[in-house]
Amino acid sequence: MIKKFLAWVSVLLFAVFSIYPILYVLSVSLRGDNAFQSQSLEIISSTSTVKNFVDLFVNTEFLLWLRNSVIVSAATTLLGVTLASTSAYALSRYRFRGRNLMLFSLLATQMFPATMLILPFYIILSKMHLIDSFVGLFIIYSASALPFCVWQMKAYYDTVPKELEEAGLLDGCSRWQTFYKIILPISSPALVITALFSFMASWSEYIIAAIVLQDPQLYTLPLGLRSFQASLATQWGLYAAGALIVSVPVLVLFISISRYLVSGLTMGSVKG
Amino acid sequence: MKTVKSLLLFIILCTGFVSEAAPMRLQLWHQMIYGHRVVLSEALRNFEKENPDLVVQETYRETEELRSSYQAAAMGGSGPELIYGPSDQIGPFASMKIIRPWDEVLEKEFFGQFDPLATPKYQDVHYMIGGSVGNNLMLLYNKKLLKNPPKTTDELIAIGKQMTQDTDGDGKIDRYGLVFNYTEPFFFAPFIPAFGAPFMTEDGKPQLNTPALQKTFEFILELRDKHKIIPKECDYETANALFKQDKAAMLINGDWSWGDYKGAGMDFGIARIPLVSSTQKWPQPLVGTAGYSLNVNIQDPERLAATIKLLKYLTSPQVQKLFTERVGVLPSNLALRDDPAVKNNALLQVSSYIMEVGTPMPVVPEVRGVWDSLRVQYQKVLAGSLTPAEGTREAQVMAEAQIRDMNEVIQPDASAFVIQGLALILFLWVLWVSRTSLVNFIKGLQGPQRFVYFMMLPAFIGIFAVIIYPFFYNIAISFSNFNLLTFQSWQIVGFQHYITAITDPRFWSLFVKTIIWTVVNVFFHVTIGIFLAVIINQVMPAKGFWRTLFIIPWAVPQYITALTWRGMFNQEYGPINQFLQQFLHLSPVQWLSQPFTAFTACIITNVWLGFPFMMIVALGGLQAIPHSLYEAAYLDKANAWQRFRHITLPLLMPVMIPAALLGCIWTFNNLNIVWLVSNAGEPGDQTHILVSYVYKAAFNLYRYGYAAAVSVIIFLILVAFSISSLVAQYRKETR
Repeated sequence: MIKKFLAWVSVLLFAVFSIYPILYVLSVSLRGDNAFQSQSLEIISSTSTVKNFVDLFVNTEFLLWLRNSVIVSAATTLLGVTLASTSAYALSRYRFRGRNLMLFSLLATQMFPATMLILPFYIILSKMHLIDSFVGLFIIYSASALPFCVWQMKAYYDTVPKELEEAGLLDGCSRWQTFYKIILPISSPALVITALFSFMASWSEYIIAAIVLQDPQLYTLPLGLRSFQASLATQWGLYAAGALIVSVPVLVLFISISRYLVSGLTMGSVKG
Repeated sequence: MKTVKSLLLFIILCTGFVSEAAPMRLQLWHQMIYGHRVVLSEALRNFEKENPDLVVQETYRETEELRSSYQAAAMGGSGPELIYGPSDQIGPFASMKIIRPWDEVLEKEFFGQFDPLATPKYQDVHYMIGGSVGNNLMLLYNKKLLKNPPKTTDELIAIGKQMTQDTDGDGKIDRYGLVFNYTEPFFFAPFIPAFGAPFMTEDGKPQLNTPALQKTFEFILELRDKHKIIPKECDYETANALFKQDKAAMLINGDWSWGDYKGAGMDFGIARIPLVSSTQKWPQPLVGTAGYSLNVNIQDPERLAATIKLLKYLTSPQVQKLFTERVGVLPSNLALRDDPAVKNNALLQVSSYIMEVGTPMPVVPEVRGVWDSLRVQYQKVLAGSLTPAEGTREAQVMAEAQIRDMNEVIQPDASAFVIQGLALILFLWVLWVSRTSLVNFIKGLQGPQRFVYFMMLPAFIGIFAVIIYPFFYNIAISFSNFNLLTFQSWQIVGFQHYITAITDPRFWSLFVKTIIWTVVNVFFHVTIGIFLAVIINQVMPAKGFWRTLFIIPWAVPQYITALTWRGMFNQEYGPINQFLQQFLHLSPVQWLSQPFTAFTACIITNVWLGFPFMMIVALGGLQAIPHSLYEAAYLDKANAWQRFRHITLPLLMPVMIPAALLGCIWTFNNLNIVWLVSNAGEPGDQTHILVSYVYKAAFNLYRYGYAAAVSVIIFLILVAFSISSLVAQYRKETR
């Protein structure tokens, strides 16, 4: 009994720890008078209004940013999933020279401080005339999420028995067909994780978007939100309201796939 | 697959449409605050109506970002036609040769129509035309609370004491006499000359080791600790909010803030910052301008002519009047000074009186080094880790060192040839080693293995372009003298940056701090993750609900949560301190102004952010443990701890170790949290870890070569770490 009680108490404490900051953003977004500071711990007070949310949709370009972000994230996710699932399959199933080196260099890409890559990115993109275009962003986002996704997918494929493909080949499938018709469908947990990571990499990325996109018509959500902040005068209410709305799709995504998350993220390492 | 392709094609077409434009498109990058942006945009739309063949696209960037993205853009040979920013950016830009002197393209008479303050010169050349003058600090006072502003600092303290009150008697101060962003040197700089001597000499050298600066430090400390008329922690936002809510009688702020307070319906007055009683001197606010500079890459005569047309329009009396009427700035065009819009504006009249005691804002690039070292040492003084006398001494030493580093052009030495030779040998060696592989590779494209190639190549081309190529580019920069002065003409110089980095004791202390940061974070991520996973898995009903609840911190974008936590740690208004006070009856912690607590705050934020990932991994691991093992343990009468110790933990390890390894690499390189929570290393640069230090060296101090070298060292450290742990794990498995 005592053990159960302690377990409940600690879980509830951690629950408060994990959701309070979000409630805090909510409370700032509901304060009508753009007052960032308040000396009370109330989330919703008598002066709460939804004015900031209304303003966000009516008086700012929020919907445009939302559209842009959806385009960028959708394309990145598609590209990321396609590339990760195919290349990881090759790495998992075929032995060739340089395979181990390739695997390690994938891991090694995570070790270089990413901010130092900004300047070279800019130079490459401007030489290829990809500044102010979403194509540049797709390429950077999907490729930078790839190393993790490839590792993830490879670990998963490693757990899929080879006999399945052998059976497929005997039945007259081509290798592409065995991959496409047999392996991909049973890898859905890992594919979902890969999609999630590619999506997250692009949905909330700020630094690279800021150098690639200069035309306000192309702004993605993080860039748009950032424009509420100025060095000496921030529109906190609008910012908080926008921040909440930006977080919603990711949250929904996480909640709807949390079942896959558990199996997809660990399956490989358990059996592999 | 067909749908995928057509969707991609569709998106590419869409984006193609957006970048297509018929009239000539001019770009303007600016850092105007919200209210000013609206006016700018109105003015530009008028301009487009008058000039149907031109389209102007304005892009807002925050000041620091404007600077760094313009540098990158201009270096890549592109960038906006006009860039609008504060006058102190022309020094660095001119040194990098990325802005063009206006004298080359404008007639001499043109400059005569402006207030000299609005046409600052760097090395006797005009690089900027200001749209307004001002940016000067003054004392704002709430007329509801205070009828007459103080004239001297003695009066300021007396009135301040009278105004600082605990109105509801709960032992907490509800109203302060004076608030301002006093941790930022710009806001106390006016006092330095008033206490004796300016902080820079006439020829742009730092002059910080002076009794004047020491007295200024002591003055602010007295306001805070002896007279207690300013809050213990006060950044710009806090000061602003207190003043607006009538919780502060006086505020030191600049002319840009008027619109905000007018908008909030406040009745406020402005006055000079009070005369320093002990020296009988007036504080000298820095008076500057914000204006337009010309991109050096605009060479096409037609485009240049259009750009000049735009500049002349933007600085014309017509547009300036619009700004004056709408947001109350003092126009730079002298023709407007007698205009009723200026004459009848009481605030502008007082403001120009205040400007009489101001000094022009220094524009030399060195001023950046001075501000930075002043900020760092001053924050140490505020945190009590240095005395004011030590602070001034250290500030001078640091400013000189930073200026030396910034202006140093390293000459190539013998090692430059060694590096070039080594690079050549390495290249040939790789060619030699891979000659057979290369042939095999090309053969393989047609052979039976070609399926593998088609599966792998697209991903690796992407990774190569986006990560590997920039990585080698960085290695090249790390051997070069790439910095402020060699922006356009850097060359390979040798190993100097590496030697500087590893012989610098600061590097090693940061290294130790980064290790502590990584170990503490990953330890909490993993233990909290396992703890919650085990409890949820064994005790809690509705597992799915709890799992979802604990994923939340992971799902919210990092740049949002980091800023949220910064707000929560605020000394007076953050919910964390309010919780400590109301429920635990503890005294408030000055989270962000002490180095240790600020670093702790960063760690707490990052722990919050990282435990969900580990929890999910642990949950997956737990599900894979066969139930039969626990049943056997029950029969053996093992207690809960023994079951955890001997079954759960060992079987979780294979899952947790790779995750923890990856976690270490991510945490080691996590810039966002430290940078955003501690506001770029505050207080006094004491919360940096290696990556944030690299970021600062590259983007704030222009030391690209040095920053690249340190980042290569970071990379090598992590490679060594992961190879050794992978090898250790491999040995353990094969034993």
